[in-house]
Order: sequence, then structure tokens, then C-alpha cells
Amino acid sequence: MPRLTIDGREIEAKAGQTVMEAATEHGIFIPYFCWHPKLSVPGNCRICVVGVAEKDGGEWVEIACNMPVSEGMVVFTNSEKVRARRKATMQFITLNHPVDCGICDKAGECTLQDYHYEYNGERSVSVDAKVHATKHYALSNRIVLDNERCIQCTRCVRFTREISKSNGLGLVNRADHSLVRAAEDGSFANDAYSDNVIDICPVGALLSRSFLHKARVWYLEPTASVCPGCSRGCTVNLWHRRPEWRLKAPGMQAANASVDRVTPLENPAVNGPWICNKGRDLPKLLGRARAEVAMLKGKPADLPGAIAQARSLVAAARRPVAIVSSWGSNEELAAFKAAFGTRLEAFVKADHLPEPGEVVEDSLLIRADKNPNTAGATALFGDRAPAIPKDADLVLVWGEGLDFGLIPPAAKIVYLNAWLQPENGHADVFIPTSIQTERDGHYTNFAGVTSAFSKCFAKPAGVADAETLFPALAAAGGGAP
Amino acid sequence: MSRRPHVRKQYWNEPEMGLWEKAYLPEILRGLWITGSIFLRNMGKWVTGRKGALTTYYPEETRWDYAQANRGKHVLTRRPDGTPQCVACNMCATVCPAKVIEIEAGFDPADAAHPKYPVRFEIDYSRCVFCGLCVEACPEDAIRMAKEVPNLPSGDRWSMWLAKEELLDWQPQSDVAKPYPPAPARVPDGERG
Repeated sequence: MPRLTIDGREIEAKAGQTVMEAATEHGIFIPYFCWHPKLSVPGNCRICVVGVAEKDGGEWVEIACNMPVSEGMVVFTNSEKVRARRKATMQFITLNHPVDCGICDKAGECTLQDYHYEYNGERSVSVDAKVHATKHYALSNRIVLDNERCIQCTRCVRFTREISKSNGLGLVNRADHSLVRAAEDGSFANDAYSDNVIDICPVGALLSRSFLHKARVWYLEPTASVCPGCSRGCTVNLWHRRPEWRLKAPGMQAANASVDRVTPLENPAVNGPWICNKGRDLPKLLGRARAEVAMLKGKPADLPGAIAQARSLVAAARRPVAIVSSWGSNEELAAFKAAFGTRLEAFVKADHLPEPGEVVEDSLLIRADKNPNTAGATALFGDRAPAIPKDADLVLVWGEGLDFGLIPPAAKIVYLNAWLQPENGHADVFIPTSIQTERDGHYTNFAGVTSAFSKCFAKPAGVADAETLFPALAAAGGGAP
Repeated sequence: MSRRPHVRKQYWNEPEMGLWEKAYLPEILRGLWITGSIFLRNMGKWVTGRKGALTTYYPEETRWDYAQANRGKHVLTRRPDGTPQCVACNMCATVCPAKVIEIEAGFDPADAAHPKYPVRFEIDYSRCVFCGLCVEACPEDAIRMAKEVPNLPSGDRWSMWLAKEELLDWQPQSDVAKPYPPAPARVPDGERG
């Protein structure tokens, strides 16, 4: 256990750690571009220089990310020599940078921008013309690359080699003519984790094509959530408009209630700092057309009337069966259990199955079960496959994805669904429900880890929350939804 | 030292009302005569087609003598080829204290020098405070303010949004302070792939 001193603070590092790792662990900040806690150390950006005291009172500089700690080491992160070296490094890194922050989507959360203000803050000292490179290079149909902004830190290249293992990216040419390019076999386009390189890019070189120029980042705020794409249950940040930056122009209201982008929310217990591309595409999944009107046999009805009708159907049934959603939160599933107990024979269904062309399962994150809370639902209701008895006279279906052909023709159907789908009209009673972004809750992933998601938007009028709906459906004498 | 009680200084006179004023009615009638005669004089001029008092018949009539530096209606400047100078960087929308500017950006990879452009650029004049910070914040000299005011009398706040098309209809040929059209942007001298 080597003991060392950083900026006058004595810390105990673990053997084999680098100065960067030891400092980060003890909350001492050393700037870095190319270093990443989950990737190998290339030591090419040189911004993490620190000073180390010599025996004769002098000081030599070395990069913190590649220097192992040793007993009695005295490190300075902010000495005059270090500041001068950092400033020179910043000038060198920004030598050919186009400084087009005004039209760069990274502006506002850009490491290069922050460090420039912190460590340089001056105009370029270069008198030579900047080297120009390709501005908009389609690295894949998801990612656009701006080679002028790139600082060749190779984080993206190392990500595809070490984490996603697609080997999809590489650096071609030399010196200030270096360019990040995708491998010619198209392995980057098929990389199911490719969008992580957008997050780890310290500058605005790699940008999402679906989010390109959609909003300046300071217009958005993150809400902690859980990706419902598979039973891994990665924690994510859903970015949507801040209340003070809501669009007010006529006809623009829908944009205020949409998820603009999805980024990973670092969580060592589940997903680390990564998520897959399906998680990035959540806005498509959550932005599908919603069912917002209750229906009785396909005819629009008001919500209290539909709930009353559903309640009388449940009360009158002799052999009621429930098909429980594996997209329900733990709170909703517990409310269902508390409301109906053993009154309904409950089966858990898979709301979503793997889609054609989707990566079904891999060794990093993606799981074959494409539902977020199968573990939470089967813990309460067992893991029998949905088998509706022939003599069932009422089937309560919760969530999408059930083939209504499996339901006996004589049985009444009470259907709870959030999306606008043709099955809605076939139910005797249809009640629209809220979706994940409109309520708080928890999902339990396949390994038993529970993660919380929070409300981003208000639910539409005429839509019920399942958690309060179930007690209302079960109450014999009534009860507000 | 003992404090003297505060005595309020008297700034005004105390007019003594005579018998005539105390009678009340004659003075009231005299006042009515003054306003009434001016009203009737203006009315007479108006019905005979001459302009009477210095009343402006807004919105048909507007002022012509705004100061050169008056901050009135916004104008979006154009490049020599007619496209908006704006690069949709949202600096004006960000600095705007009333948050009245909304910009939706588009991406045009074919235009190497200006890949980001405004698809929608709207200003809500029902909330604009005409502070001019948007003009100061603009890095591209894409938004300026004309001295003429927008003139949007309306009973409906939604009709007081002006869109890109209305803000672009200004092409001054000479402006001493800022030459127009602006010098063309330098295009990268060679694209490498």
C-alpha cells in the first residue's frame, strides 16, 4: 500500500494503481482527454501532466494516467510548471480545431471547451493556416464524424477493440492528417454498442445523427430512468426539454413531451457506463401513437364509466383469468397482487419478443428476454407460460403483445394498454394506461437488481395509472381510479 | 443633544380661494367650455376631412421619425445568395431574457461552409422586450433590429408570432456601420477524404 502526497494531501493508494486512478479515487481532479476508467491507457493527449518532486528540490513532469504510484511520491497537480505545460498542450491540441462551437452539438458539455476556459483561455498563437479535414463523414447510419473537431484521442477506437469487440474503428494516416475511419468490412455499422463512442468522445467529433442539431444541450435536462428494452434493465438518462425552455410557438407543444436523447446513467451494478443502441432508440419506442380514450366494445367512452363497467365484469365473472404485463413496475405489480389476490388466475406474458434483425443476446449487456420486469412479475405470479383455460369467462389483459386469438371466444375481455393498437377495439372494455415516462416506479432485472425510474412528463388526460386502477377495479363498492 | 421634532419643509403654496372659486359651478363650467370647444373644433375639422389634433390613427398611421438607433422589428440578414445568414446556433434564443426566440435547426451536408441552418425561426412579439441582446449575442451578424416597430396590433396573442419568412424581408443596400451584403465566408480550400 504505497503512500503518496498529492497537492499536500497524503493518500494511500493501492499497489499497481496509476497516479490518475489514485487521485480520482480520492476525489482529486486531474484533467484528461484520452484516459477513460474503462479503457486502456494510450497516454497520447498529454493533458494529465503532473509534477513530481525530485530529491534535490526540483520538479519533473510526467503524465498521471501512465505513471504508477510509488512509496513517498510527492505529486503536484497545479504547480507553475504543470500549468505552463498544460497550457502548451491545450494550444497544441486546439491547433487545428475549427472552433465552430456555435454549430456543434457538443457545446455546453464539451471537455475541450471546459478545459480551454480552465487551462488556456487565449487565442491561438499559430500563424499558419489550419489543416482542414472532412467535416461530415458518415461513420455509420447512426453516427456522423467531424474530422476537424477530432483530437485523435482514440477513445472510440479503443472502445470498439476493448469493450464492444467489433474492431470497427481505426486511425488512418499520420500526424495532423490522421483520420478516424470505419473498417471496410462494415463491422462498425453492425456494432450494437456503437453509439457509446458519442458519449466517450471528449469533443464534438462523433455525433448522433438522430439527435443532430435537435436541441442545444442546455435546453435539456436528464431524468433518471431504466431502459425497458431487455431484462438487463440498464439505468439511463432520458433527456427532455427543461421547463423554462419549453417551446411555446403554435403547433410545437408535442415536442415538449418527447424524449430527445438517451444516454447511459453510470451504474456499476448493472451496466457500467455503457448502453446498447436499442437503448438509444428508446424515443422511437416511447414515441409511438398513444391510446388516450377508453372504449366499450370499440366505442369511445369516458374513463370512469369504463372502469365501472370493468369492475362489474370482474365482480360477475366465475372463472376470471389475468394476463399480467412484464412491463409493469414493481409498484403496479404489487398493487395488482394486493387488489386481486387469488381472485384472478394470473399468468405473466412477454409483452415484447426479439424483433427481426435485432441482436438477441450477447456477452456484454443484451439479454434475450426483451421485457424489463419479467423477474419482478414472475416473483409474484410464477413463471408459467400464459395458458388460458377453455372455461375462462373473463380475461383481464394488461399490456401489449398478446394474441387475442388465444382467448376463448365466449370470454369477456378487459384490456389495459398504453398504445394505439387494433386489439384495443376488440376488447369489451378498453382502458388506456400511462407509460414509463409518466410515472415513478422500479424494475427488477434478471439478476435481481432493482433500479428506479422517474416521471418526465404529465400523463394525458383520460389515461389511468395502473397502480391506482387495480384497487378501483377490484373494489366491490367503487373507488376512484 | 435633544432631537427636535421633524418639521416638514413646505414646498407648495396654499392658494386662497376667492368667492368666485368657492361658488364652484362657474369654474367647472369654464373648464368644460375649454375642453368642449377643443373637442368641437377637432370634430369639425375631422368631419370636413382636415386633420385636427395631433392624434395618430394607429395602426393605419405610424411614426416616421424613429431614431436611427431605435430597437424595433428584428430582421434576419441574408447571404449574397439569398439564404439566411443565421446558422441556428441559438445564442440569441439563449440570451433572450424573455425567451421569445425559437429556432429549429436543420442539417445540410451539401453546404460545406454552412451545414447548420434554421428551418424555423420565430419570435413572439407579444412577449419581446426589445432589449437588443439577441443582436449583440449573434456571432454571425444574422439578426439586426430595424428602427421601425413591428406593428402587430392584435386581439390574439398567437397571431403575434413572426416567422422566418417575415423576418427575412429586408435587404438594405447601404449601411455605414455594417456593410451589406456581408463578406462571403471563407470556404475550406480543399476537402480531404
